[in-house]
Amino acid sequence: MKTTIEEIILHVARVMIDELKLEDITPETFDPDIDLVDEIGIDSMDLATVALVLRDYYAIRIEEDDYPKLTNVRLIAEYIDQKLGEKSMAAAN
Amino acid sequence: MNLIYGNQTGEEANRTGKEWKFSDILAQPAVRERWEKVRKYFFLRESTYDMSNRCNIRCEGCYYYEGDKQFAAENRDPDDWRRLMQAEKARGITYVVLAGAEPSLAPELCRICFEEFPLGSIASNGLKVIPADINFKIHISVWGNDETSARVRSAKNMLIRQIENYKGDPRAVFVYTFTRNNIAQVHEVAGLLAEHGCRLTFNVFSAPVGYRGDLRHTPDTLLGTRKAMVDLLTAYPENVLFSHYNAVAHTHRKGLHDLYACSYPRRNASTDIGLGRSFRQYRTDLNWDRAVACCVPDTDCDDCRHYAAGSAVVTARMFRHAGNPDTFKAWLDYVDTYLAVWVMGYQKGVNLSDGMVAPPENKIF
Repeated sequence: MKTTIEEIILHVARVMIDELKLEDITPETFDPDIDLVDEIGIDSMDLATVALVLRDYYAIRIEEDDYPKLTNVRLIAEYIDQKLGEKSMAAAN
Repeated sequence: MNLIYGNQTGEEANRTGKEWKFSDILAQPAVRERWEKVRKYFFLRESTYDMSNRCNIRCEGCYYYEGDKQFAAENRDPDDWRRLMQAEKARGITYVVLAGAEPSLAPELCRICFEEFPLGSIASNGLKVIPADINFKIHISVWGNDETSARVRSAKNMLIRQIENYKGDPRAVFVYTFTRNNIAQVHEVAGLLAEHGCRLTFNVFSAPVGYRGDLRHTPDTLLGTRKAMVDLLTAYPENVLFSHYNAVAHTHRKGLHDLYACSYPRRNASTDIGLGRSFRQYRTDLNWDRAVACCVPDTDCDDCRHYAAGSAVVTARMFRHAGNPDTFKAWLDYVDTYLAVWVMGYQKGVNLSDGMVAPPENKIF
């Protein structure tokens, strides 16, 4: 069954909370459009860490040049969704 | 150990193309432990500040006296400095590097910086003691034995005076800069420093833009430098803050920018995140210019192997080092070294790699 974008958003939010030890927030209350750099204060090393964990979980290839541009949870989820789509297309071929 | 081919682990891993999961790499307890140790410092965000346009010596190849920054007026108003530090803190800077030309000549300004920032470092020639209440790391530049220092820095008995000023001082790290001409002397210098219980790390001369002198490295002298670094790492493990991967990264035939893509604003147009977003290099008039902002301005980027540059640039490339256990361990050694050199109270662990590992997508030399 295809993972929905909403499920990916929730999972990305959970990884953010776990890896960056964010307090007073849950995946359900995490605003997917909040700017991670400006409003949460995460930096490139944090984002790299999250990217590595997501790469493991979804078994997708994340390019080093891509992750610095993924500055909110929705953008990250859409990127993962696109990569998953490419992966299933490749598998189908 | 073969200095050009090393143990090939990184290259082998690159060649085999096995896709490692990050969680598998972290499954080794020693790797996990080191990862948890270093990631606590991911909050560090640096900027650098020229403290004075004066220096008590004049060294050949000094980056400060190249380019326009040397002509900036000195702002010595303590209130302006305090306001700058507070503004820096407000925009997210957590670590200050006090550099050119010679910060020890402006201790009152260094003190203001320390009062506003608990973490930072000072680059000094070590000839004038920085007051003990300014509890930043102090990097003392060493360019060879005293005969060489007298020639290229016009300073007599330099090493003895530096040691006298800073032996037993937990803030002090002596930074030996390898030039083309002082490689053999490092053994004598390191021996003397170790005898006095001093800690040292290594830098590699990186030519300023337009430099025509004879300190610039050749491939042969880079290899000679690499050998000396590795020999000293083995000879003085208690004193030398370094790793095999530091040696590889800083003596590679390619410079740091070619190897890792420099993330300082001068070479990085992106302001999305990281150094490209937050780093500034302030001149003595408290202005800065994004177009030239990096940790060692006016260095020829193609020749940059500077230890300060690597500390940020190699560290920032964690993602590409997490491709296999060998490269990731090498990266952890590098970061562990950088933190020990730059952060007061941080203790370096035993290196996880005991051989040469190639930078990702590159050969060992």
